[in-house]
Amino acid sequence: MTTELCRSCGSCGFPMRTPDDHAGGDPDAEYCSTCAEASGTLKPYDEVVQANADYLVREQGVDLHAARTMARALLASMPAWQGRR
Amino acid sequence: MTPQAATTQRALQRETTRRQLVAAGLRVVAKEGFAGASTAAIARATGKAHGTVFLHFRTRDALVAELVAEVGRAMSNRLAELEREAPTLANVLDAHLRALADHEVLYARVLCEATTLPAAARAQVFALQSGIASRLRRAYARARARGEVRDIGSVVLANIWISLTNHYLMNRDLFAPGASVISKCGSALKAQLLELIRP
Repeated sequence: MTTELCRSCGSCGFPMRTPDDHAGGDPDAEYCSTCAEASGTLKPYDEVVQANADYLVREQGVDLHAARTMARALLASMPAWQGRR
Repeated sequence: MTPQAATTQRALQRETTRRQLVAAGLRVVAKEGFAGASTAAIARATGKAHGTVFLHFRTRDALVAELVAEVGRAMSNRLAELEREAPTLANVLDAHLRALADHEVLYARVLCEATTLPAAARAQVFALQSGIASRLRRAYARARARGEVRDIGSVVLANIWISLTNHYLMNRDLFAPGASVISKCGSALKAQLLELIRP
């Protein structure tokens, strides 16, 4: 089932399908427009955690504290933040 | 062979082995669940030495997170086939049901064991669910603007749909013994949700 239909953000795993999904609209950018600046530079860790937590709160109503914990766990499994807690 | 070609070949071999481990891991999970998916069982399923697993994944938790991510990517790619200017709620629900049907066995395993999975793997499940919820929210806003649905709030709508489908998947042996629960019940679930939000 190994999939390669689209690239995932190296920071949060978000599937990037359109140029707009990539930082700065650059299809070669390895991070998504949420996790990185338009220049392609990764945003600070705390900012990325908050953005990912906000996404879980906004879409599913997850408790903010639990969402932050979950976001940190998710990021720790991603190449950009490997092992970070 | 030049040193550069040898390096490329090693990288390709490494990637092939990693893919074999993930594919074998998914087969083991489909059959035994995550609880039965030990690194030793996965190594056996590929015919490789147990230690090979740890050359690619630092820990079992990292491997489990990757297995769940792989299921999520496959479902997410299936959902992406929906992409069009402004899908209706029915379009989004249909796309989600197709994605669930394609990966029913594995995703049901993920859901049944979600609370015992490593934190990163559980977070993958919620990230995937947020992707569905996000699509539902946008389609719901368009339907609201057209006066086609009543106001129950997009989070409530998404959570009703997610909990409904999850309930049927987690108990698929009761709702559709020996068959696909999504094939059997998916259309009815979609109709129930749309009826629920009719003005």
